[in-house]
Amino acid sequence: MSDHLSKQFDLELENIRTRILQMGGLVERQVLAAVDAFSSGNLDEMQQVIASDREVDALEVGIDEDCTLLIARRQPTARDLRLVMAISRIVTDLERVGDKASKIARMSQKLHQAGPQRIPRLSDVHHCGRLASDMLQGSLDSLARMDIDAARQVIGADKAIDSAFNAILRQLITYMMEDPRTISEALDIIWIAKAIERVGDHATNIAENVIYIVSGIDIRHSSVAASKTDEA
Amino acid sequence: MTAAGRWCTRIVLTGVLPIVGLALLLGAIHGAIWGWAAAAGGFMLVVLLQTRRLALLAAWIDGPQQADVPDSGGAWGEVFRKLSRKLRLDARALAEIETRLNSFSQAMDAVPDGLVVLADHSQVQWANRAAGEHLGIRLPRDGGAIIQQLVRAPGFAEYLGSPAGQPPFILQSQAARRRVYSLRAVPLGERNTLLVSLDVSDARRVEAMRSTFVANVSHELRTPLTVVSGFLEHFGDDNAMTGEQRQQFARLMSEQTRRMLSLVDDLLTLSRLEAEDAPASEEDIDMADLLAQLQAEAESLSAGRHRLQVSCSGPGLRGNRKELHSAFGNLVSNAIRYTPTGGDIRIRWKLRAGLGVFSVRDSGVGIAAEHLPRLTERFYRVDRGRSRDTGGTGLGLAIVKHILLRHQAALLIDSQPGAGSNFRAEFPVWRLRPQPGATAPAAGEA
Repeated sequence: MSDHLSKQFDLELENIRTRILQMGGLVERQVLAAVDAFSSGNLDEMQQVIASDREVDALEVGIDEDCTLLIARRQPTARDLRLVMAISRIVTDLERVGDKASKIARMSQKLHQAGPQRIPRLSDVHHCGRLASDMLQGSLDSLARMDIDAARQVIGADKAIDSAFNAILRQLITYMMEDPRTISEALDIIWIAKAIERVGDHATNIAENVIYIVSGIDIRHSSVAASKTDEA
Repeated sequence: MTAAGRWCTRIVLTGVLPIVGLALLLGAIHGAIWGWAAAAGGFMLVVLLQTRRLALLAAWIDGPQQADVPDSGGAWGEVFRKLSRKLRLDARALAEIETRLNSFSQAMDAVPDGLVVLADHSQVQWANRAAGEHLGIRLPRDGGAIIQQLVRAPGFAEYLGSPAGQPPFILQSQAARRRVYSLRAVPLGERNTLLVSLDVSDARRVEAMRSTFVANVSHELRTPLTVVSGFLEHFGDDNAMTGEQRQQFARLMSEQTRRMLSLVDDLLTLSRLEAEDAPASEEDIDMADLLAQLQAEAESLSAGRHRLQVSCSGPGLRGNRKELHSAFGNLVSNAIRYTPTGGDIRIRWKLRAGLGVFSVRDSGVGIAAEHLPRLTERFYRVDRGRSRDTGGTGLGLAIVKHILLRHQAALLIDSQPGAGSNFRAEFPVWRLRPQPGATAPAAGEA
């Protein structure tokens, strides 16, 4: 009987993990599409990214609810508890990434509609966006495989994005100094680059949560939770 | 008689009968009590012996080694022999199955399509090597993983859950950039699924190229046709224009029709070049002569607006003269078109590092690095407006590339915006011939 119960519990946990990774897949594609649309100027793609943000928001609410329900019904302990807690944090990160993606798409739309380009669509921005989407993918892969090494790699990759971001800033400053008419366009591109840089930060958060789940840096918490359920 | 019956008989004959016989004999000689005692002792001995052999068997069966079959005679010995033979046969069968399995999984790894066996439609049970490249699923790391967690493309989970017979799921890979895979789930038994992934990137690219090509051709023809049809409408209205206007319109119209003609000519040339792999005929070309011809054409095209420099120091060339003339002519006319008045154009044929090099260097507008790799694509334009003004069809360099490919030559382009461009065609050594008519010292056997 208890075996059956725990199997059911395993299934529920696994379902939550699958759902959050599905949400991750959606966000992954959003980021990639937003970055590509920025470079190519594809208005349809931008519109799609903006539209799918609502889907991401709905998933966030749903998964959060699942986590709360699971904690209430099963009172998970130890690693299970860490998993649920981490997932409810990762959901927030993913939702933010989705926001960033739709921000990139909206800014690209604005840039596109503002009239003639004075600044070329810097390939560095695209490169930086690819780096960020690679990081996001790596962090979700590490969550799917519970792979600490992969998670550590993702955290290490954040430096590359930061330096790419700084390089973009320097380039844009040069444009702005040479020709003040480029300032408003350059500012928009800076917002886009900043959003990309934030995607990298959220990917780092996700990877950190994976490490927390697997290695349980917070052993204190899980033991407290365990003793509490023992008393109950 | 059954095998078990035979065994019973043997045990009775070898174990029981001698004891009973001995007991009867002793009983007959010394009295019944001795007989019973002998029977009891004999049976005790037999039981002890059997127990010892049973213990031996139990010890041996835990780690059966071919060599140390416990040495025991009689019925037990046979049991041991039979067991050990069975083990040997089993081991051999196992080894054979293992070899077959190995060669089977090697074959599966060689299959270019990705294959993943899913238990319960989601759990990865087995995957081949291509699945690792396509979907990032590698064994043993991902054995037992849930595929919806690894392949997260939106819509994939729904596709797996949908009944069989759906059109394949198209996956834009993120792991390998710009690859496109077609995924198909095939039911495998009752609860399992076989997921097959097919790399369709190339087919997709060709499809996209074809559709853009048709779109481009239509667009290129449409522009001049619009102009001509617009003028024709005016022509219908007799008193709408003066004779002078009429003449001017006719001139513009014939200009546009010429453009259409040259576009169609270029298209036909391209399709002819694509249809055949090699030139119809080849000859030894006198390069000095060809360059003189190119110079004459360049001078008439430039009309004195550029400084032209032509030098020919290379050997003769084997190839189709008409095609090469058209390729070189294209490069020269490009240089003239994209170099502002007063610029320098240098046309050269020389021998360098064993290769025959035809080069056209100009001091024109130059080309930004990002355009260089795509320059020979059909209808690819660095600056749409300007290139049409200068009368290009957008097919020139595509034709040049094709012709050079047919002559095993490479087209190399160096360019910097503002600093001019250098287009080079490099021919392999076996296409070079001693220059006819030149003071050829090595004009022996070619």
